[in-house]
Amino acid sequence: MKLGSRLVQIPILRPKLVTALLVIFTLALGALISKVHVDTDPENMLSEHEDVRLFHTATKKEFALHDVLVLGVVNETHPDGVFNPETLGHVFDLTEYASTLADPNNPEYKVVAQNIIAPSNVDAIIQAGLGQVSFDWLMAAAPTTQEEALRIRDLAMDNPLFKGTLVSEDGKAIGIYLPITSKKFAHTLSQQLNDKIATLSSNGDKFFITGLPVAEDTFGKEMFIQMAVSAPLAMLAIFLLMLYFFKQLRLIISPMIVAMVAVISTMGLLIGTGHTLHIMSSMIPIFLMPIAVVDSIHIMSEFFDEYQKTGDRRKTIEHVISQLFTPMLYTSLTSAAGFASLAMTPIPPVQAFGIFVAIGIMIAWITTIIFIPAYIMMMPESSLQNFGVKGASDSMASRGAMACSLRTLGRFVHNWPKLIISTTMLLTLVAFYGISQIQVNDNPVKWFTKNHEIRVADQVLNKHFRGTYEAFLILESNLEKLSPAQAETELATMFKNQAVDENSKAVVAKALAILTRTAQESTTDSMLSLLEANMIDSQNKSNDLFYDIWADLVAQVDTFRNRDQIFKRPDVLRYIENLQAHLLEIGVVGKTSSISDVVKKVHKELFESNPEHYIIPDSVGAVAQCLISFQNSHKPDDLYHLVTPDYQKANIWVQLQNGDNKVMETVVKEVKKYMIGYPPPVQLNYKWAGLTYLNVVWQDKMVSGMRDAFLSSFIIVFIMMVLLFRSPTWGLLAMIPLTMTIAWIYGIIGFIGKDYDMPVAVLSSLTLGLAVDFAIHFLERARATQAKTGSWTKTITAMFEEPARAISRNVIVIAIGFTPLLLAPLVPYKTVGVFLASIMAISGLATMLILPALITILQGWLFRKKHS
Amino acid sequence: MLIPRLFFILTLAALVASPTLAAPPLDEIIRKANNVSYYGGDDGRAEVAMTITDNQGRTRERLFTILRKDIQKDGGNQLYFVYFKRPSDVRKTTFLVHKFIDRDDDRWMYLPSLDLVKRIAASDKRTSFMGSNFFYEDVSGRNLDADHHEMIDENDTYYVIRNTPKDPASVEFASYTVWIDKKNSLPMKAEYKDKTATIYRTMEVLGVETIQGYTTVTKSLISDLGTGGNTIAEFTNIKYNLSLSADLFSERYLRTPPKEARQ
Repeated sequence: MKLGSRLVQIPILRPKLVTALLVIFTLALGALISKVHVDTDPENMLSEHEDVRLFHTATKKEFALHDVLVLGVVNETHPDGVFNPETLGHVFDLTEYASTLADPNNPEYKVVAQNIIAPSNVDAIIQAGLGQVSFDWLMAAAPTTQEEALRIRDLAMDNPLFKGTLVSEDGKAIGIYLPITSKKFAHTLSQQLNDKIATLSSNGDKFFITGLPVAEDTFGKEMFIQMAVSAPLAMLAIFLLMLYFFKQLRLIISPMIVAMVAVISTMGLLIGTGHTLHIMSSMIPIFLMPIAVVDSIHIMSEFFDEYQKTGDRRKTIEHVISQLFTPMLYTSLTSAAGFASLAMTPIPPVQAFGIFVAIGIMIAWITTIIFIPAYIMMMPESSLQNFGVKGASDSMASRGAMACSLRTLGRFVHNWPKLIISTTMLLTLVAFYGISQIQVNDNPVKWFTKNHEIRVADQVLNKHFRGTYEAFLILESNLEKLSPAQAETELATMFKNQAVDENSKAVVAKALAILTRTAQESTTDSMLSLLEANMIDSQNKSNDLFYDIWADLVAQVDTFRNRDQIFKRPDVLRYIENLQAHLLEIGVVGKTSSISDVVKKVHKELFESNPEHYIIPDSVGAVAQCLISFQNSHKPDDLYHLVTPDYQKANIWVQLQNGDNKVMETVVKEVKKYMIGYPPPVQLNYKWAGLTYLNVVWQDKMVSGMRDAFLSSFIIVFIMMVLLFRSPTWGLLAMIPLTMTIAWIYGIIGFIGKDYDMPVAVLSSLTLGLAVDFAIHFLERARATQAKTGSWTKTITAMFEEPARAISRNVIVIAIGFTPLLLAPLVPYKTVGVFLASIMAISGLATMLILPALITILQGWLFRKKHS
Repeated sequence: MLIPRLFFILTLAALVASPTLAAPPLDEIIRKANNVSYYGGDDGRAEVAMTITDNQGRTRERLFTILRKDIQKDGGNQLYFVYFKRPSDVRKTTFLVHKFIDRDDDRWMYLPSLDLVKRIAASDKRTSFMGSNFFYEDVSGRNLDADHHEMIDENDTYYVIRNTPKDPASVEFASYTVWIDKKNSLPMKAEYKDKTATIYRTMEVLGVETIQGYTTVTKSLISDLGTGGNTIAEFTNIKYNLSLSADLFSERYLRTPPKEARQ
């Protein structure tokens, strides 16, 4: 390749200049890494302007909802569980302590003290005897006797809003719900709490901290540790393996440098361009390293085999580069295209990930082309003297073993091509069945390994409580606006119903006259204001006989004006009650809470706590009076977590014991089905909010986005292959190993029941990028060799020498090199480690088996066609 | 003596020392402030419009009439009757207080749509009055004997008095400080502090008029700094010395409120 040969002259002639420039380039970009800003918020998987996110944020504000950290106190040893003076004392102290906590580095991040849900910060509605109802703190102070402790239990258990949330039904656990102003405070807060917990007396109490914000924030912190440990370990492993293969310490440092240059400058660029370090982008080094090293290994491998023939490093380099320039350019371009296609997904962190891995790949390519030759030129000639020859003899055993097996493999492929192809087809059919079994699912808590304290806490607390995963079903009044004429008709009917005797008839007649006059107003709002004002005038002028009649009519106008306060209507509240009952029946919902529950509980307490009165009363007035009774408490605004003050929107708080996206999806589907099957008594709009729901939304976008991205990059790579080989047939051939690899990888995922989650989705791009590399190298070399030998039999023999060894070395280096990821406490990294190894192994094998087998079968046609 | 004043009154107690040479004794300042705030005339009536605003700026209205009758001399026992007019769905809800100086007050509420009279427990003194930022105790006054009082500052305009509860477990504050206007003897401002000495609640008088010769608060504001919400109460149609019968303040009028309350 002319371009390659010309390009390689620069590092050959000016190796030091090239190296210096490279160092400056890397350091300059690397310096930007210090500006890093970490963002582990899965919410950012969605653009800030995404509808569902805007709605989620608006809902949190409107209903004064916060991200919540759940501190669970569990006692399984005391006969009354947590309801004993000592444990409740701990609960009291922890609540007091927690209410003052803030982030030392950022006082804006703090616990929202007034919204804490804890026994000492909620009101119990208490029967105080003689027709009295009292609002008392459920636990104003820590109890001193067992009787007091049990009274707290009984009061809490009798409140549907507390049972299963604040106190577990088995009495063994209490939940302290700590709302925080920012999710970024969650990890610090949990550490502060743990410090306090360590000072408490031990009486069998166990403490657990969970909630999505903790999981997400903790993930971010551990992600850093992970990157600092796993990535260097992976690098070390790759280094040791290369040392084993090539025996030349000085030489194999160069691919490591290429990888460092690529990783550092890419991360510098990412951060320097203002991107945050997100869960996705934190994986860039891990994805980039194998790809960056691959090209170098091809050059090293080739140089290793060629050097001994000439003993002249310059000639060897020129030869190697001219051999490899085109395949390396194309492998880099295809890999980059695979990742760049992620820019088409609607998920910002995935876009950034794709684009910057693509940039990193091209940086790695240019670095490989110009730096590796420069590096070799800078090595003292003496240190190369024994390279290859000595290396070859030294590693004869291993090299011989690999070489022998590869030769055997080559003969097998040549002799049994049809067996290979039919097996491939069979396996692919099986893989497609596996793919059909794939479960799309994710759950940030499951990003931690099973024995991680967050997973343990999640499990324990969701066993005792009705669920620490929250979603909010927001219902909104969608009443049609009435015209002044329609309002006039309805009000006239209401007025006429009041005309029961002489006096009232006289007043109603006057009111109807005012009504007719004001109905001329252009808007219903101005009509009602004017009507009410005029009627109050008449009321104030009237004598005692008529005053109350006017007052009643004015009240009716006010009621009519507030007709859109639908969440005081008994029929609407009963609809919500039934919807809640239905949600409990589907089995995955732990508990729901709504304004209906508040009304029923208050109604019951107003009637001497008689369970028969645990119902929604029959009139708007009765509902409103239950609610105003509730608001005579210490915390009247608690009502507005469940309904807006204008009573036009209501929030059904849904608790789930399992945060899997598929669980949330089930709930969403059921609600939709219910709302269609049982239409509400008034027109209602409904929408979902809550972190658990947001996760579902971005997952949906991810799945469809990844599919589109993958299909488009598949087409782009195919076009590039056709261009590279100047033949659609050969282009198609190059696509086969990667297609098979992807089918098999995802088939395996389906069979073993691994959820299709974020890291798994991103792997399709990696597969595309790596698997096509092997095919390009293999086909390019095969065609070159075929052109020289003119015999496929000779070519295939040659192919299972150096080219097959390069592929095998690559497979082994990368597959084994990433095993340190398996030690990670974070599941996404483990997943990447396992599948990276599998992808390398499968795509390497697929390339070396399927391609030669196909060419063997089609050789006459393939090569004749080319010549003609 | 004014009715509405009840709304912001704050305590003041009898026994306290530390009178300065020029100033009247502390207990006198406190008693006078209490009398001006809660005991104008022998009885009184006012229309009250409460506007409750939350930290998002959303507002709610409460409109009610309040009647008051003193049955002892100033500083003694009193009767209160509250009749709700708006929101219309709580219309005709009534609220009755028999205030005693030497024991807990008796309080009742009538919910018309449920046709239910409920007594309100004595312990609920410092819970929300109908969802507003006013407490029940702000309506009918806090017993002067419930707190210790000390003068912490005095300037040309105000006596500044700090009040600390005798029974800290019964209240949510650790102390509160009142600014009493030297001219009209009204507590114009109060600040409530919690255990960490943070001010979490304030009362401010925003309007004062002289009606029938009595100094009368016509507008006041209570703010909850914790939630960011506040409530403004405005008083209109204020009248004193109506010769209200003590009979009107009996339990049976809860269901059939007197004309004086309805109109």
